[in-house]
Formats: sequence, C-alpha cells, structure tokens
Amino acid sequence: MHTRGGILMANVIAGLALGFVVANIGFGDYAQLNRMFTFQDLRMFYAFAGAVAIIVVVFAVVGVRRTRGRIHAGVVPGAVLFGTGWAISGGCPAIPIIQVASGYLPALVTIAGVAVGIWLCRWANAKFFRLDRGSCGL
Amino acid sequence: MNYWPWWAGAIGLALVTINYTLTTDKPFGVSSAWDRVLHWRAERRIERLETEFTDERALVDALAAATAEHFGPLPEAPAPRTAYADAPAPAGAPPAETSASNTSRRSTPVVAQAALLLSILVGGWVAAVTAGRFKVRFDMGDGFRQIVTADRATMFGVLFLGGVLVGFGTRLAGGCSSGHGLSGCGRLQPVSIVATAVFFGTAVLVSFLLWKVI
Repeated sequence: MHTRGGILMANVIAGLALGFVVANIGFGDYAQLNRMFTFQDLRMFYAFAGAVAIIVVVFAVVGVRRTRGRIHAGVVPGAVLFGTGWAISGGCPAIPIIQVASGYLPALVTIAGVAVGIWLCRWANAKFFRLDRGSCGL
Repeated sequence: MNYWPWWAGAIGLALVTINYTLTTDKPFGVSSAWDRVLHWRAERRIERLETEFTDERALVDALAAATAEHFGPLPEAPAPRTAYADAPAPAGAPPAETSASNTSRRSTPVVAQAALLLSILVGGWVAAVTAGRFKVRFDMGDGFRQIVTADRATMFGVLFLGGVLVGFGTRLAGGCSSGHGLSGCGRLQPVSIVATAVFFGTAVLVSFLLWKVI
C-alpha cells in the first residue's frame, strides 16, 4: 500500500468511511455538538473516547510506532483557537465538509474560513513564529 | 435524528483510523490534508524533489551493488562522521534506511490528500441520504439559531470567524481532532494528549458561555 496508487486508494476509502461514520454519529449537527460540549448528552463524547480507547489497545498490540511530535509553543494557543472555533461554528476541519454534504449550505462559509485560517497560519509561521509545528505526519 | 449509538460510532472511528494507519504506515489527519491541498504548488515542488532524491539514492545503491558484483565486496567502510562530532556512530545504531523504506516515509501525494477531502464529502452525503437526513438548507439548523444567532448576516460572520480560528488553530497546534485526537492519542503521544485536552476543554468552556451567558 506504499505505492502512489495504493495511498490514493487508502485515502479514498478512509475519506468515504470517515464522512459516513462522522455524519452518522452526528458531529455535523450543531445542536448535537453543543449538547456534547455542555454535557447534556455524552453520546458523541463516548463515541470519540471509545474510539481512542480501541485505537490505543490495537496500536499497542500491533506495535504501531510513535511519530515525530513534541510539545512546542504553538500547541496550547493553537488548541485554544481551534476549540473556540469548533464551539462557535460547529466545524473541525472535516465537519464543515460533512455539513455541506448533509445540505447545510452556509457551511461553505466555514470552509472558506478554514482555508483562510490555514493560509494565514502558514504565512504567519514563516514570517513571525518560525515554529517547527510538525504535522499529522501526512 | 436517528444517529448511531455511541459504541457503533466508536467502532467506526477506530476502524477508519486503524485501517488507514496499518495500510499506509502513516497517521490519519484532515487538517494536514487541507494544508497541503491549499498549498499544492509548494507541495508539488517538494514531491518532485523527494522523487529526485529517492531516484538518486536508488541509482547509487544499484551502482554499488553492480560494483560489488564485478570487483567483489568492498572492505568495511569506516563509520560515518557526523556533522557535529568526530565520534563514530555508536555501536548498535540502526542501519541506514534502504530506499524502499524511504519510499514509505515520503509524504502522501497532494492528489491523494485532495481525494481524501472529496471522499469525505461523498461519504457524508451517502450517510445523509441513506438516513433520510439530507435537506438543502440556507441556515445551520434550529440548534445554531437558538444557541448562537438567528440573524443571517451574523451567522455568516460567526461561521467565517469560526472557520478561520479552526484553520489557524489546527495548523498552529499541528493537528486536529483526527490527527491529534484519534491518531495521536491512539499512539499516546504527549503532544496530542495535551492538544486534545486543551481543544476539548476550550470548546466546553465556550459552549457553556454560548448556552448560559451569551
């Protein structure tokens, strides 16, 4: 699966599955998301935490190695900005795509915002921060 | 709204992440995909350089193998000297990577990243249609209207601002809910655990502010 075609196929399968699963959990529904963040309904939180627990066990059994990643100066402020944006718009990078796919057309504006934010971050990092932020390893 | 029970969602998210990691030997993350697709020109340039580098390594390896075959194996080469010290490489150091392992370490092609984002759209649409939830709307639903704003112009402003914060924040933190939250926490990486705790905690605080105060 390390060939270009193999990775392309893996990405298509992962994208289809992620879109299908995340939409069916309810992460694209702002009301559901707010109910999770305000502890009125923990179903989606359990789904996320349960997934992490399963992944931890499987990765440990299979012996998946850690990737390069260290706690740098951008982690906490970046996570604070992300958490704020997620709470007010209901979108983390995959979710506005799923919202549009479900028919919520204003989420296109969220996608435009995400694109501007990503572009701004790369520009600001090159010009001011100069952090080695790593990445998800993709 | 006929959403899945928590355990089905947990199994689904875990399967997506585990399958991707085991088949590609790469972590799974959406914000990185966004970043690289949006900067596709620079990324294509890097891809070309990576390809050239790999080809050069493969050529050198092939020449060395052919030379060894013709003249016999070379005497033991001295240990490589590092740029920062005269000390030889320590005993037990891992062997140099082969070009094959280099190939697996190369970054995912931008085309594959774009395919990931488009596939999320298709997967989400299939889910909405099959569950009977698909409906074209020009608002973000009753929840958003009640909790955030009912005014259309304010809604667009909030969505755009939220998007900017999400985009900037995920790239500054080096990952999002999939990269840090699922892949990183699944590997028990400290940076991902800290990032996930902070963005979930912040989202909880802001959501309570929206719900109870604003």
